[in-house]
Amino acid sequence: MRAYELMVLIDPEVDDRTVEPTIEKYLEVVRSHGGTIDKVDVWGRRKMAYEIKKKAEATYIVVNYTADPATSAELERQLKINELILRHKVTRPEEARV
Amino acid sequence: MAKAEIRKPKPKSNPLKAADITVIDYKDTALLRKFISDRGKIRARRVTGVSVQEQRKIAQAIKNAREVALLPYSGAGRG
Repeated sequence: MRAYELMVLIDPEVDDRTVEPTIEKYLEVVRSHGGTIDKVDVWGRRKMAYEIKKKAEATYIVVNYTADPATSAELERQLKINELILRHKVTRPEEARV
Repeated sequence: MAKAEIRKPKPKSNPLKAADITVIDYKDTALLRKFISDRGKIRARRVTGVSVQEQRKIAQAIKNAREVALLPYSGAGRG
């Protein structure tokens, strides 16, 4: 099991109230494979530094979770399929120490 | 003959020590913005005054932040 940090950029057309259920579906992938969700941080709408798919802003969400590498790969695969997810990024948080 | 004058470079203050930063995080755009020019380029180490190791982590963090549109790519758009 490893600690991961996931950042998801959701299409701004997704209503603010439906953002949480949208992301919940993916958190379930981690849980069903024996991983744990440690923290979910919804940043809300934010203007992006450049346009992605002609959109100027996106809803940012940061999720900290612990899972096996295979589970993380499966999560990423599923995130890629969803058109409403403009972008996602998985990092290992502790590697950036000064 | 006049002795060639030895220039002593002014020691730069390390901006990370000044801000009391221990972990470089790609989400900390306020910090990372100090290390990019107004055109979005990563500032050289001789300008920023941080250590080699720190510069490498800052550069990687900026690149990560660019991937998720937190920071602009250099020269992109109106930059």
